[in-house]
Amino acid sequence: MATAAVKEEPIEEVDFETRFIMLCQASPEGITDNVIQKELPQCDTKQRMTIVNRLLSMGKIDLLKSGSKLLYRLKDPDSASQVKGGDNQEKLVYQIIKDAGNKGIWIRDIRFKCNLLLTQVNKILKNLETKKLIKAVKSVAASKKKVYMLYNLEPDRSVTGGAWYSDQDFESEFVEVLNQQCFKYLEQRAAAAREAKSDPIAQRNASFTPLEDVWKYISDLGISKVQLSKEDIETILNTLIYDGKVERSLVAGQATASGDGYVKLYRSVQPLIPTTGLMRMPCGACPVFDQCYEGGAVSPTTCVYMKEWLEI
Amino acid sequence: MTRRQHDVCRFLLFQQFGEQVSVVGKYLLQKSPSPLHLISSETHLDTEQVKKILCILIQQNIVTFGQHKRGFIEYSIRTGEILNRLWFPKYIYCAKTLYGDAAELLLEDVLQRGQVQMSKVIEVVMQRFNEALETSGKQKISESFVVDKFSNLVRTHFLQRCLDPIKSESNKVVGLEVTGEEETLYRLPDLSRKRKKSHDDGPPAKRSKSEVEGERPADDEGDGIFWRVNNERFHQMFRDQAIVQAISSKIDRSAGEVLRAMLRVSEVKTAGMATVTTPISVTEIFNALPKDLMARPLLETYLSLICDDSTNFLSKVGDSGGGMYSINIYEALAQLVKAHIESVVQERFGSKCLRIFRVLLLKKHLEQKQIEDFVMISAKEAKDLLYTLFSENFITTTEISKTPDHAPSRTFYLFTVNIQHVASMVLNRCYKALYNAMVKKETEVNEHRRLLDKQERMEAIAASVEDASQRDEILNTITPSEQEQIIKVRRTIQMLDHSELQICEGIFILEMYLMYFKQRQKDKS
Repeated sequence: MATAAVKEEPIEEVDFETRFIMLCQASPEGITDNVIQKELPQCDTKQRMTIVNRLLSMGKIDLLKSGSKLLYRLKDPDSASQVKGGDNQEKLVYQIIKDAGNKGIWIRDIRFKCNLLLTQVNKILKNLETKKLIKAVKSVAASKKKVYMLYNLEPDRSVTGGAWYSDQDFESEFVEVLNQQCFKYLEQRAAAAREAKSDPIAQRNASFTPLEDVWKYISDLGISKVQLSKEDIETILNTLIYDGKVERSLVAGQATASGDGYVKLYRSVQPLIPTTGLMRMPCGACPVFDQCYEGGAVSPTTCVYMKEWLEI
Repeated sequence: MTRRQHDVCRFLLFQQFGEQVSVVGKYLLQKSPSPLHLISSETHLDTEQVKKILCILIQQNIVTFGQHKRGFIEYSIRTGEILNRLWFPKYIYCAKTLYGDAAELLLEDVLQRGQVQMSKVIEVVMQRFNEALETSGKQKISESFVVDKFSNLVRTHFLQRCLDPIKSESNKVVGLEVTGEEETLYRLPDLSRKRKKSHDDGPPAKRSKSEVEGERPADDEGDGIFWRVNNERFHQMFRDQAIVQAISSKIDRSAGEVLRAMLRVSEVKTAGMATVTTPISVTEIFNALPKDLMARPLLETYLSLICDDSTNFLSKVGDSGGGMYSINIYEALAQLVKAHIESVVQERFGSKCLRIFRVLLLKKHLEQKQIEDFVMISAKEAKDLLYTLFSENFITTTEISKTPDHAPSRTFYLFTVNIQHVASMVLNRCYKALYNAMVKKETEVNEHRRLLDKQERMEAIAASVEDASQRDEILNTITPSEQEQIIKVRRTIQMLDHSELQICEGIFILEMYLMYFKQRQKDKS
């Protein structure tokens, strides 16, 4: 009797395991304890535990926590094979980096999450890098900071800076050139409108250019190696607004695919006043203005800047 | 009153009235109001001298007096009046463009004398005008022409009556009364009495009733009334001009004309310091425009165009009467002040700084990181420029802490622009620059005074000499190198003059804005 019982157990256990795995396969998001209990009523808690532990050590399932309940999920066979060579710590670190997605994760955050020593984490990261499983990407926000992410992922725009950054350097000249080109285009449109129409309202309306047109013009110009999106052009036009050379207005228009119900229009404008009187004389831009007083080392009568200015 | 304004005031007094007046002026600027004996003891001048000086200053409306509760008279100086003297050339030019040469001469005379009787000023102007006309062979003008111009100036409130003195029981003047109604300040005397002496109208009786304190003689020939320039009215006119010019450069000339017509209509309807004019209907504007300028539909399109413009000068407040529009004076001044400040930032720090400044103006409060994102300048450079602006006090920070212990690493630092603060800073700088320009001009003139005098003398002699060859001889006494130098000096003086005028324009806008700002603060509280 005892042998029969003993012989039965291992068979039952293996059975339970395969049935467990089948259950996991059936529900890809994971199964909870309750589900297991329902499906496998003969399996008691201790047996369940042993099964789970064995499967975990074999790397076949993942243990996740959802709220206060535990979930068991079948792991991807590919990823399971990848880290088979490494040990638990490596697996842990790899998992953390994978979770960070394409934004990457900083080394200090990895340390916090896995509670390992700095030297250990460094060794593991080096191992994973040589195995070509992860890569380090320099962040554009802080040039010394390195974020780690999976090897085959594209870094997110917030890390590399998008179209304006090439290798961590802000491309000022590129932005300047685009700035000037956009402004010239808008000015040309305004000048054409002024000549063509006589009615002021029509003039104003004709000089307004929608974002689409500016984008198409810049793309056709071909000064940019990389394809610029509409948002990029919008940021450039915004800088022109901040320069005071262009103004923007929103008009109700057709709802496009992107979902906006209005169209952004841009127009080049004249400034309100010519240069103010103060800045037309040297005193306005004088670096020693505060030390200038009659009878002092710097004074209006002996001022060198004034002399130069009056000589022209 | 700031130190810089005091400097300018003192310089103006010195330049226009002389050393002693400026000494008294300086004392009063520092310590007004004070009684006569104190002034004379502190400035070490004779009482008689001080009396004369004070007379001059009172005549020019710079000093006023009032009775102290202990019974003696105290004199106080009005810095605003001294600074207004900077704009006298502009006043005269204004009068000339509005009413012609006669008005120009009238105003010049009134400004020179401070307070003057109507008959006297008309007499002087007539003389000068007729002299000039005689020499050029034209017909003389009649007195009524000049009187007409004078009445025009009064009717449009450019000239006003001086305040009448209040007399105490012992018949001593103890103060200037403040008229209750504004209308009495602009009442023209009835000149018909001079012509038709037998004419006995009702008006004289009525007038003597409305006069103050019965002691006054009836104003026959308008001789008892003194007239002076109404500064506020001119300032209103300059303000309107500035607004019209701004809109003309932004949109086009016709828009400027429309706005000018609106401002003219609102002159009589709106209170002096109102931030928004009373609503005006389209019909009124159309009637106020010069005929044949534009058709009614075009006017309406222009009005909607100005309303929609980003500068927000005009707003539509109702639909009755074809549409009611009102001008936002405060908004317009704020835009102009912002334009001036932006120009200062651009010239002083560069276009990139201007971008940062404008981002903060538009978005009010921003963190450093956000500024760097908006402005599309590399982070290092943006940081540098931002901190330059901050060190020069053009922008300020507000701290918002995340934790109660206000640790620096856990607080948000938001940058912002406080327009009123920056405006007063720029204003101060303007005054100092103005003072510098005036001092420089003075020194240039003094240095080359000998030369300039010589040239003037030579020219005067040459003009009076009939013989052509003698004239050439006289003119040749000025050597070519001296001639060159004279040309250079004149050019220098002209440049400094120009820059003074331009700075004055900037000062005007800034002062107006700060005045309206204070008024608004007062109204709110």
